[in-house]
Amino acid sequence: MFSSRSGFWPALPALILLLVFFLFPVVRMLGFSVEAGTLDWYAKALGEGLYLRVLWNTFEIALLVTLFCLLLGYPLGFLMATTTPFWATMGFIFVLLPLWTSVLVRTYAWMVLLGRNGVFNRMLMEAGITSDPIPLLHNFTGVLIGMVHVLLPYMVLPIYGAVRKVDPAIPAAAAGLGASNWRIFWRVWMPLTLNGVFAGCVLVFVLSLGFYITPALLGGGRVIMIAVLIEQQVREALNWPFAAALSAVLLAATFAVYTLAQRFTQPETAR
Amino acid sequence: MDTRKLNRRQAVALLGGAAALGAAGPAFGQAEPAKPAQLVVNHSGGSMGTAMRKAFFNGFEKKYGIKVVETSPVDFGKLRAMVDSGNVEWDLTEIGGQDAIRAGKANLLDKVDPKVVDRSKYPATAQNPFVFASSVYTTIIGYRTDVFKGGTQPKSWADWWDVKKFPGARSMRNHPTDNLEFALIADGVPKDKLYPIDFDRAFKKLDQIKPHVTVWWSTGQQPAQLLLDKEVVLATGWNGRFYDIIKKGAPVEIEWNEGALKQGSFAIPRGAKSPYWANKMLAELAIPQQQAVYASELGYPGLNLESLNFVDAKVKPYLPTNYLDKQFWISDEWYAENGTKAAELWNAWMLKKA
Repeated sequence: MFSSRSGFWPALPALILLLVFFLFPVVRMLGFSVEAGTLDWYAKALGEGLYLRVLWNTFEIALLVTLFCLLLGYPLGFLMATTTPFWATMGFIFVLLPLWTSVLVRTYAWMVLLGRNGVFNRMLMEAGITSDPIPLLHNFTGVLIGMVHVLLPYMVLPIYGAVRKVDPAIPAAAAGLGASNWRIFWRVWMPLTLNGVFAGCVLVFVLSLGFYITPALLGGGRVIMIAVLIEQQVREALNWPFAAALSAVLLAATFAVYTLAQRFTQPETAR
Repeated sequence: MDTRKLNRRQAVALLGGAAALGAAGPAFGQAEPAKPAQLVVNHSGGSMGTAMRKAFFNGFEKKYGIKVVETSPVDFGKLRAMVDSGNVEWDLTEIGGQDAIRAGKANLLDKVDPKVVDRSKYPATAQNPFVFASSVYTTIIGYRTDVFKGGTQPKSWADWWDVKKFPGARSMRNHPTDNLEFALIADGVPKDKLYPIDFDRAFKKLDQIKPHVTVWWSTGQQPAQLLLDKEVVLATGWNGRFYDIIKKGAPVEIEWNEGALKQGSFAIPRGAKSPYWANKMLAELAIPQQQAVYASELGYPGLNLESLNFVDAKVKPYLPTNYLDKQFWISDEWYAENGTKAAELWNAWMLKKA
């Protein structure tokens, strides 16, 4: 009891901050959606094919981005946590530097690299690998590349942290007892770093859901995410009740996915 | 009483009267409300902000000794939030055409004061009581001159749709405005019979062009950049963005025929801190010589039609007001009523597999 209270008081300022600047505005925003006393806006959000389809697209993109970030981020985080201090520092510089650059700048940089006459396509064509430019930009591929690049640090850092926390004696013991590398990875490293993987996936997934400028610019207008439609309702249509309803649906769907993911991963680590 | 020789008491009484008149506000002759330390003008920023400073703000600061503070971007949602909450930061804000009409109806704006702002030289369509038309811009065809040499470019929307005669990747705006009109014109609807828009007919025509549009652009700089990088050879775009790269020597030209004209607007939010001085700023924006300076910078001329007389002969061919007859006006009134519906249909159409 006493210890939980002493843990509570230092957190109070942060809690008040969250209450005033996060929870209160969210509740107010949700209030807009039922202002008229009916659920009409929710019926529109869930009843019209357009919004459900865009919501589905959004989750699909977020899932794929999370998957690719994991595939790229786990080896990178693992390597950074187990290599020499010099290479670990180099790794940090390369992972963190893009994080401090504006998303807009990075998105335009991808446009230069991936275009029909961009750096990649010119290299491929001059090397004789293709005769026509490969469509890397202004489509789904472009959006995936851009988003994975922006979000990769959010996957790498938690995984790095998790790998660092593992006592090196445990995998060493497994090796001493004759386990293969593959077996050590699946039976020792994976369960022990699952917390980091979970944290990274949730971060990347949730941030992906709100992405706006990268899909708009790299998708050539064809890839529509729910944030774009919410923004249209807020700024163009000035229909705030409907924007609030769409946001509430997104929030609920996000919580649902989060809870599901937790079910799948937490029992292993909580023990 | 001899009026030339006032005694002291009479003089004091007269001065007192004048002071009282002054305190009563701008309704009485020359007396003006106190000058604020600053006037906050919200606009789109970027090169537009630079041109506005050069053409209007520097002169205003010099004339009245009021500092002009610039903010951006233009945001209708923010305007509404400001007026609703009673905390209006902007004295004057740029605002989109159809947004301005909706904002006027929604009681978010103050009227433009006709006693301060002289709009007698403006076309009748540009005299909305709540909205000051600051400039004209148009969505037209930009093309690569190394691909379409010697006048072989598409010269109409029917040409734009003719992908056999005019092959090559195209870019169009990711928005219903302009594109619905272009589709109808390409399908044979006369320029003065576009409204109300026939959605079915427009989208059916747009279906035909969809596979040939590589990029649906969302920011104004994109079409110019796409032409520069030769990502596309034809792009619809705002005339000023093309003018900017043409000035810098890009192999790009403009086809003005059947362009979609729109007005750039400024308005005074209801509850602005210095509405009188905001009107004074609008008066500054209405001066033809200053409008000419602005037009030469950006290619967006003012609606004081006298301003064309003050523009350099080299600049004039790049101003949309030079080609008013070839083009048509987008109906802000129609979009104010039907914009939301149009946007929903547009999104649904965009998601449809071609």
